[in-house]
Amino acid sequence: MSALLERHRGLIWLTGREVLRVTKLWTQTIAAPVLSAFLFIVVFGLSLGGRIREVDGFSYEVFIVPGLITMAMVQAAYSNNSSSVFQARFDRYIHDILAAPMRSWEVNLGLSLGGVVRALAIAVSLLVLALAAVDVPIRQPGVLAVAVVLALVLFSALGVIVGIYAETFDHHTFVNNILILPLTFLGGVFYSVDSLPSPWQEISHANPIFYLISAVRYGFLGTADVSVALSLAITATLAAAAVAWSSWLFATGRRLKA
Amino acid sequence: MASPPAAPPPALELSGLTKRYDDGVLALDRFDLTVADGEFFGLLGPNGAGKTTLISAVCNLIRVTAGEIRIFGRDHNEMEARRLIGLAEQDVNLDRFLDVEETLLYHGGYYGLSRARARRRAQEMMEVFDLRAKAGVRAPKLSGGMRRRLLLARALMHEPRLVILDEPTAGVDFELRMELWRYIRRLHSAGTTILLTTHYLEEAEELCEEIALIRNGRLIARDSAEGLREHYAADSLAGVYVKAMSA
Repeated sequence: MSALLERHRGLIWLTGREVLRVTKLWTQTIAAPVLSAFLFIVVFGLSLGGRIREVDGFSYEVFIVPGLITMAMVQAAYSNNSSSVFQARFDRYIHDILAAPMRSWEVNLGLSLGGVVRALAIAVSLLVLALAAVDVPIRQPGVLAVAVVLALVLFSALGVIVGIYAETFDHHTFVNNILILPLTFLGGVFYSVDSLPSPWQEISHANPIFYLISAVRYGFLGTADVSVALSLAITATLAAAAVAWSSWLFATGRRLKA
Repeated sequence: MASPPAAPPPALELSGLTKRYDDGVLALDRFDLTVADGEFFGLLGPNGAGKTTLISAVCNLIRVTAGEIRIFGRDHNEMEARRLIGLAEQDVNLDRFLDVEETLLYHGGYYGLSRARARRRAQEMMEVFDLRAKAGVRAPKLSGGMRRRLLLARALMHEPRLVILDEPTAGVDFELRMELWRYIRRLHSAGTTILLTTHYLEEAEELCEEIALIRNGRLIARDSAEGLREHYAADSLAGVYVKAMSA
């Protein structure tokens, strides 16, 4: 075990650096997203929820919790890694990492884990608050764990990829604001896609984040708009593609090295 | 009769090193160079000559088009070869989220040092480079001179055998330059191989045992300062430089 740790010391330190960055900026990286997601639960769930009839057999404030946790988690995993990698490239301190005796997969993994830790810290904080406020159940913990792992892998890798391709800071916010946020909202965070009229219901099925939210919701509530196997399979396929892409970038040095 | 012991491999050996950037610019053209173990070697050339490209290739920071790079006999992509190199780049590229002590600690960690060893070495480096009072200060809040010291301290954290200094005294005041010279000399006298690029000809003459002149990605001459003066029939290294670059 100690030999293994010794062999991957660079990876451990790099992961430590990424986590240190998250904790040093904890008001921005953890407190702010937890607060804004919890405000959604309070405002949409507790204030307006009384005017909305039950969704899939659950009160509205309970129904929206899985989607809100998913939304906060994927945005954190993505934006943490894209901003960290972009900043490292922009200030060129990534050279200190690229010149070091670390394998390409170690650099990729180390840079990805900061987003994973940040997203998990947010998810756990939100879960604790949600349990206290609305008593959300966790009916399928195994499915929930798998869905969360896949979500973290997918969006951490996506963040790293965008951080590598971004030419300006606007590019990293553009992907979040124009792609991730709208797809998350339209993926059924606040409603059941089954309740949409045609063709919106069919169009929603082309949104990959819809499947992720469905899988997480199934983990919490034991019910979802589509088959959980299909949701997990689609999310796993996307996660594998994102990891393959980021691994290729690090292995070849494309976009990282002139 | 026993055969004489094999000569130690050179600290740096470049064979046919070629780098063509994606925009078509040929920065290095079949470049050959050998720097012996323990040598203090200078690279001189105008901006765009290929000095920084050469250093970036050695340190795995660019994709090499063709050729071979060996560090103490090992391919430069090997982990052990990378561990043997310390680089202080021309541009200040410090991690904005880390303070002085963390900058040194994490660099040590990336290069495989244990936590205890990294801590000891960081203390030593802060002492040597007069950074102890700034241990908890983040890089963006340091003065230019302090940043330059930190860059050098970081490059030496993992005790590399080949130290590459890309214009280490660019933009620093006279006193700090003298101080850095003293430290670099001490480092060299302890057996470390040093590859230095500089625009200050007196710096190269003062410090380097051998100097290579490089232009348009090609090596045009290499010798001691005295040998170069003789070869170019010049009174000073400045005279050599002018003649070599205009030839």
